[in-house]
Amino acid sequence: MNFEQFQNQSRLYVIGALEPEEVEEFEKARKKFGKKAEDFITKCYALHEAFALSLRPAKSSDAIKERLMAMVKAKKQP
Amino acid sequence: MAKRPGRPLTMAPLVEPGAPSDFDLMKGLQAGDADALAQLYDRYNGILKALILRVIHNEAEADDLLQEIFMEIWNQAKNFSEQKGKPLGWMVTLARRRAIDGLRKKQAYVRAEERLQNETEQQPEAWVHNATEEEIVLSDTRVLIRKVISSLPPAQQQAIDLAFFRGMSQREIAAKTNTPLGTVKTRLELGLKKLYDGLKDLKDEL
Repeated sequence: MNFEQFQNQSRLYVIGALEPEEVEEFEKARKKFGKKAEDFITKCYALHEAFALSLRPAKSSDAIKERLMAMVKAKKQP
Repeated sequence: MAKRPGRPLTMAPLVEPGAPSDFDLMKGLQAGDADALAQLYDRYNGILKALILRVIHNEAEADDLLQEIFMEIWNQAKNFSEQKGKPLGWMVTLARRRAIDGLRKKQAYVRAEERLQNETEQQPEAWVHNATEEEIVLSDTRVLIRKVISSLPPAQQQAIDLAFFRGMSQREIAAKTNTPLGTVKTRLELGLKKLYDGLKDLKDEL
């Protein structure tokens, strides 16, 4: 696998769309390309952010935040 | 894409001047500061709820998951590292995984499938439809991202939509769309490359 092919596979990898039989070869290439590979995969995760930002924000109830903060505070207490 | 002068755009939503950055808030979480979590919640609950809803199509379940996801963000904050990207990307990755897990675990998959099917019949390209919906007031960032997405051929958009928002494998997409597996792979590869390049240009421009 050359680096261009690795880049194509990386974009599929970050959205979980690699088939099981492709993952093994991808992981081998990932090791082969080392830091360059890791840096590129990190960049690919920006796709996640973009997909989320492409959606119109949805309203959630104020009660959720209250429950969340109560849970956090309860957890922090000894 | 035209750059608007004097508007400091970023991929992430704008933060009020003087407000802590997302990285600052993540550091707060790592130090056990509940107020930092409250601020992150205020900043991103709408985006994460929209993402969850896009996956599970159920308002009540989406609310429950949103709460669970922010609790996980609190619990897992220690695992966040600046070297691994931005806080929003990390939160979205976590939220998407939980939403897809939730969809399968709660066995709502079939029900959501039926709802998705109904929606698909009414609006064959929901993502495209969203991109052109005039009644929605969109932020600059959203408009620009949607422009990049809507520049893809509909078949590529559909393949990416099913993979990202439904967590489908290439084989599942092939079966659902009655398309050869090789074609699905090509659509995903080409579509994601165009999106990646388009977003890179967008970031460079911004």
